[in-house]
Amino acid sequence: MGLAIEAVNLTKVFGIFKAVNNVTLKVEEGVIFGLLGPNGAGKTTTIRMILGLLKPTSGYVKVFGIDVTRERKRALNLVGYMPQQFSLYEDLTVEENLRLYASLYGINGLEAEKRIRELLDELMLAEYRKRPAGKLSGGTRQRLALAAAVVNRPRLLVVDEPTAGVDPPLRRYFWEKFRKLRDEGVTVLVTTHYMDEAENCDKIALMSRGSVAAEGSPLEIKRLAYGGDLLELEIVGNPQPIVEEFGFKVLSSETRGGVEKVTLLVPDASLVLASLTRALERSGVKVVRAYPVPVSLEDAFIRLTASSYSLKR
Amino acid sequence: MGALMALVAKDIKQLLRDPRSLVMVLLMPILVMFMFAAGYGEERGGVVPVAVVNLDGGVVSWQFIEAIRGSGNFRIVGFSPAKEIGIEMVRKSEAYAAIVIPQGFSDSIIAGKSTRIVVVLDASYATVSEIVWQAVAIAVQQFTKIAAEQYSTFNIDVMRETVYGPKVSNLDTFTSVVMGVLLHLVPMSLIAVSISRERERRTFEQLIMTPITSAHIVIGKLLAYSIVTVVDMLVTLGLSVLLLGVSVRGPLMDLTLVSLLLLVCSLSLGLLISAVSRNQLQAYQASIFFFIPSMLFSGFFMPVELLSPFAHAIGKFLPMYYFIRAFKSIQLRGWTLADVAQDCAILAGEALFFLVAAIRMLRLRVE
Ligand SMILES: Nc1ncnc2c1ncn2[C@@H]1O[C@H](COP(=O)(O)OP(=O)(O)O)[C@@H](O)[C@H]1O
Ligand SMILES: [Mg+2]
Repeated sequence: MGLAIEAVNLTKVFGIFKAVNNVTLKVEEGVIFGLLGPNGAGKTTTIRMILGLLKPTSGYVKVFGIDVTRERKRALNLVGYMPQQFSLYEDLTVEENLRLYASLYGINGLEAEKRIRELLDELMLAEYRKRPAGKLSGGTRQRLALAAAVVNRPRLLVVDEPTAGVDPPLRRYFWEKFRKLRDEGVTVLVTTHYMDEAENCDKIALMSRGSVAAEGSPLEIKRLAYGGDLLELEIVGNPQPIVEEFGFKVLSSETRGGVEKVTLLVPDASLVLASLTRALERSGVKVVRAYPVPVSLEDAFIRLTASSYSLKR
Repeated sequence: MGALMALVAKDIKQLLRDPRSLVMVLLMPILVMFMFAAGYGEERGGVVPVAVVNLDGGVVSWQFIEAIRGSGNFRIVGFSPAKEIGIEMVRKSEAYAAIVIPQGFSDSIIAGKSTRIVVVLDASYATVSEIVWQAVAIAVQQFTKIAAEQYSTFNIDVMRETVYGPKVSNLDTFTSVVMGVLLHLVPMSLIAVSISRERERRTFEQLIMTPITSAHIVIGKLLAYSIVTVVDMLVTLGLSVLLLGVSVRGPLMDLTLVSLLLLVCSLSLGLLISAVSRNQLQAYQASIFFFIPSMLFSGFFMPVELLSPFAHAIGKFLPMYYFIRAFKSIQLRGWTLADVAQDCAILAGEALFFLVAAIRMLRLRVE
């Protein structure tokens, strides 16, 4: 698999303010890549540089190996973009907007009719086709924006905060849509500041104050945050010798009603769970329960950005 | 080609659906034309209120006063025996001028000696003074003729003949100016805000993510705005000629073509402004700013050739200068397009220059 996006050492300075600082992103084809971070982290600025909408102060970008500034036309034909704010023409109707964008991508006549009908159905817009885009509700607008972004069947879809201010059913619908597109081979670059949504991504990069704080799959990110997985054991007996033998770190332990609850830091919970339990049982410790602790990306993010913050200090 | 046509259609729709631009495009020129015709169409025939100061009181002085009254150009609003009172009336704008007949006026005329009358003018109104001055000269001329016969002195008559005359009405004189303003300022400021409006409404960000070039955007807007404003131009021109009584001596078709050239030139200049300005306000101010030299140095009020060399030099860069020249020549002199071909070529050249500059300056970025 090649790279859909290769962004190297991107930096953007507005006046004296460094909005994006030396960001490198390599997005493989056919994945959902999430760019996460709170408001003001520099997600939109990064995306705009990737798309050639902003000129990087330094660094370079290639999309499917194409330099966007040099071969604009070739690159843009492969890309669809849904900006953070609604950016279609409010005084044109749903259908007029879609027809305009189809034409701008060179899709005309019957082919355009077919594609527009398809999109109207797919995104449940058929009943609004004659309505000016400015008179649509927030959710409908977002669906129209997505329809316009995929009118050219892009190989790379870039969506900037598609779920901000959108009700939960539509949020779920959007993620399903992105997964479906991914399964069809489309690379999706999506930004969000909702950490819980990011579980839907194959890969994520955490941005904080203009830099990438961490990058990897959601699982890798969590491991990175704690230095491994968290495993909780409820036992009766002394686990100390076995835990030491395995070389795991005890993060906390408390005893309640004769049962000791121990939280361990392990490299990979799914790999060690069985063998650890067996070893403990064999040494005469009774294992009541043993389970990996679910960690939220949000916790991981806070840990990661806090540490990078303290490191910078 | 499909992309360009789609952009043209989109811009036309947007123009027609936006009430603000509709008022500016359709209503304003028509209103301006009506106002212009109402204000300039009917001429008062130069009946100027004057004060007469008669320091002589002799019989000839009364003959002279009668000649002034009889010329039909003056309305005598006051007689006074003292020059100061006459001057005061001019100061207070009660009279546009005071005509002072000196002591011994009658004696001098009868004796065949030369004499003089004094005309006190209000210099703060240069054009009015000019009209009064001319009218007095004519009245004096007429009186001299009568006096010459009666008192057997001699007289030289000055006969006035004109080319393209005998007289061009105010309405016809200023039609070129009003058309110039309507065909320059309105389309220019209208299209100047068009790209910054897309930037401010963020539609630009989505638009430039499609594989189109800056030429698509610029030419698309030029075509769309041309189509809408040409209709408007035809209506305005037709209205002036058919309803408001503006006379056109040359071919109407040629006049229309010259107007079209200025229109396209204004739109192109507006696009250049649009391409380089950051927001709508800036674009709007820039188009007003560009309009001012056109007003001053294109022969709106008087031929630039009679102004300073500086003004003349500036004028030669302005589309309006060539338009006024060509338009006046066709309308008032009855020339044809062939006679003003050079002016037209320069207008077309400037339009092309602005257009190419706009395409080159338009950055497909959001910064
Ligand atoms: N055109 C601009 N000029 C100046 N500052 C900007 C500009 N665009 C963004 N910024 C600043 O850069 C920072 C990052 O913004 P942005 O990329 O929009 O963040 P995000 O999308 O993660 O919320 C913010 O502090 C924002 O105020
Ligand atoms: Mg953003």
